[in-house]
Amino acid sequence: MDAFKQFVNNISSPQVLVTLAIIFFFVYLKFVRFFTRTPVFLAMLGLFLAFCGVSLTDEHFRSVVTMPDNVPIVGMIFLIIFFTWLSLRKAVDNDIRMERGEPTFEASESKDKLYTWPHLVYIELLCMIIATIVLVVWAIYLKAPLEAPANPTVSPNPSKAPWYFLGLQEMLVYFDPWIAGVLLPSMIIIGLMAIPYIDRNPKGSGYFSFKERKWIITGFLFGFLILWIFLIILGTFLRGPNWNFFGPYEFWDVHKVVPLVNVNLSELIWVKWLGAGLPKFFLQREIFGLVMLALYFGVMPLVLAKTVFRKLYMEMGMIRYSLFIIFLLVLIALPVKMYLRWMFNLKYIVAVPEYFFNI
Amino acid sequence: MAYQVDKKSWWEEFKQSQFWKSIFRHGAPTDKRNQSLVILSNVFLHLHPVTARKSGIRISYTWCMGGLAFFIFLVEVITGVLLMFYYRPTAEYAFNDIMALRDHVPLGIMREIHRWGAHAMVITVWIHMFRVFMTGSYKPPREFNWNVGVVLLVLTLLLSFTGYLLPWDQLAMWAITVGSNMARATPFLGHEGPGASLLKVGEVSLVHSGDDVRFALLGGRFVGAPALLRFYVLHCVFIPLAAAVLMAIHFWRIRKDGGISSPV
Amino acid sequence: MSEEQKPPTTPTPPPPAPAPTSLPVQPTMTRRKFLSWFALGWIAFSAAMAGFLTSIVRFLFPNVLFEPPMTFKAGLPSEYQVGKVDERFKIKYGVWIVRSADGIFALSTVCTHLGCTPNWLDAEKKFKCPCHGSGFRMSGINFEGPAPRPLERFKIELADDGQVLIDKSKSFHQEKGEWSDPLSILKV
Repeated sequence: MDAFKQFVNNISSPQVLVTLAIIFFFVYLKFVRFFTRTPVFLAMLGLFLAFCGVSLTDEHFRSVVTMPDNVPIVGMIFLIIFFTWLSLRKAVDNDIRMERGEPTFEASESKDKLYTWPHLVYIELLCMIIATIVLVVWAIYLKAPLEAPANPTVSPNPSKAPWYFLGLQEMLVYFDPWIAGVLLPSMIIIGLMAIPYIDRNPKGSGYFSFKERKWIITGFLFGFLILWIFLIILGTFLRGPNWNFFGPYEFWDVHKVVPLVNVNLSELIWVKWLGAGLPKFFLQREIFGLVMLALYFGVMPLVLAKTVFRKLYMEMGMIRYSLFIIFLLVLIALPVKMYLRWMFNLKYIVAVPEYFFNI
Repeated sequence: MAYQVDKKSWWEEFKQSQFWKSIFRHGAPTDKRNQSLVILSNVFLHLHPVTARKSGIRISYTWCMGGLAFFIFLVEVITGVLLMFYYRPTAEYAFNDIMALRDHVPLGIMREIHRWGAHAMVITVWIHMFRVFMTGSYKPPREFNWNVGVVLLVLTLLLSFTGYLLPWDQLAMWAITVGSNMARATPFLGHEGPGASLLKVGEVSLVHSGDDVRFALLGGRFVGAPALLRFYVLHCVFIPLAAAVLMAIHFWRIRKDGGISSPV
Repeated sequence: MSEEQKPPTTPTPPPPAPAPTSLPVQPTMTRRKFLSWFALGWIAFSAAMAGFLTSIVRFLFPNVLFEPPMTFKAGLPSEYQVGKVDERFKIKYGVWIVRSADGIFALSTVCTHLGCTPNWLDAEKKFKCPCHGSGFRMSGINFEGPAPRPLERFKIELADDGQVLIDKSKSFHQEKGEWSDPLSILKV
């Protein structure tokens, strides 16, 4: 048991967990027909529950998981697991039906019209009653947290944003505040709004399906499950004092020392590789980072439009394609920057603190 | 016989009275006509169509998450109004009023319902968006309603975020400090954002900690009493009103765009 | 037929042809005139709306702020020892006063990452921010964690009565080379 805990603690680092999550995510979607089968789902859920049950015997794990503000996130994990499975399961069922040339489950029922009284209003009433019961029981058994009165001179350790922003706070480790705090939220909002105008695939409207909408579903689920939900889970349960990373069974030691010596790309190239000093003028100093960004966001879309996305570009046209490729490249850039940090201790690709412009 | 035996119960009689009929203009919803009338003649129920496709009614299709999000919003409005009776949004009183809500008030779980309801609303809104995405329900003709939904999602998060400050404890103050400090980094509008230092006249910079976007949000250079009052007003009046208007549009557009999505 | 083909006897009608309406009087408002009034009206309307919006935005910025004063006196220079961080003014003014071999300087207690308040760890001789783990040396230079730049220094000088006078309204950024400014450090 202790060996197991030790093992889990040792492999618990953002790089290992995010890598595992990404691998699992793609393996799951690759073999989605296998993983969404009910026995497989139940077996995996059982394994996860057993893991949680065993872990609850550990006092450090228990103290973090049962913090009042963390309980909703525990509930959310199970809801997300269930609904991800449910939607993909129904999607796979429909895919199989369509392969056989049958109508989807939804299509087989969409000709029937039912009176909303009683068929719909009773579902709603039941849902409301269940929600009320859940809320009241939850409120009785779990007190809302209240800490010491506000004191502007003492920062609690760790200071966390509200839980639904912890994915963004995790991004703050890798990006400057203007990116993680302003640019990314804006891009998430605009990106979500742009989905209907970018995804012009007429199929898959009004029923669950995976095969017909493989790429857009993969992209959306990657953003939602990995970059949003999974990072919230990491930030909630595994980020402790000083925003250090702790294993699930590790004591949140305030004095844990983690070397955080990060270098900028300009220092890496000018000082370490070229052996020269840093140029004074910022444009010259950051030239390599700026060129890299220009290649990534300027040249890459053009190259992709001529090669991989040639057909897509033809269908979408200039404006749609530009929007699509920018959002896609930013989505990919997030994990890329994280891996650059983990592998090269890279802090900023472009660092112009004179103008608060760090990327 | 001197009098006729009345077979009708008092309840049946009451339902024939002028008073009852002034409220309900149809019979019990046991036949098709009355099932339609009950929906059509009730301002709340007429959010629904009279009939809907079977595929769109199934709970395994809708998950009822949008409906639940709206219901929890109503719960939040009711419990929030009750909480306002005891809460004063000033730096001296706020924390003590929250303590009093727990200790001095009967049924001291009102704040708990409000807080856990807020968390539940965030989660239900996310799952609702997830379902709408997975069923492709943002596709034409529902693009605009998806956009309204995205704005409602943002408003839900903002409602929860502004409410987070109101207990005025350490958790609240520092979560908002961390959260609102990102506004300092807004390009050109925040005093630590990219480009802000370029905006100056001579030696006087136009964007500084006393006039940037974070200051407008907090009413000061740091999270203090003015910030508490601003967040209170945003939380209790401005954002709920904006959300209510958008919800009206959202629900109306569901009907206008052909009801709950289904295969063409 | 040929008579009908004949051009009218009168020469071409004058440019402002009478409007083909039943009204006997010529309209005083021509289309062009109307459009220019129309544009003027819209410009005035938009300007008024922009004015309202500006005044609403301005309303968010009060003229009077009830915050601690930006300048304060911090005792005599002889009260500070070389190599020590003075935390007396941290709570009230958000300032650490540090005396190094070069002189006395006033460091802001606002972390340059996201504005949390770091703690001075005397044993490790560093400022450590609890929020995201940024670390700063005693000079204020950032050396670990996500902070993008050093802590800010405030304007510091000697008042007439010999006390140290600190003015928080003027800050000096190391990354802009402002720490060489004589007002950023008090040579004693």
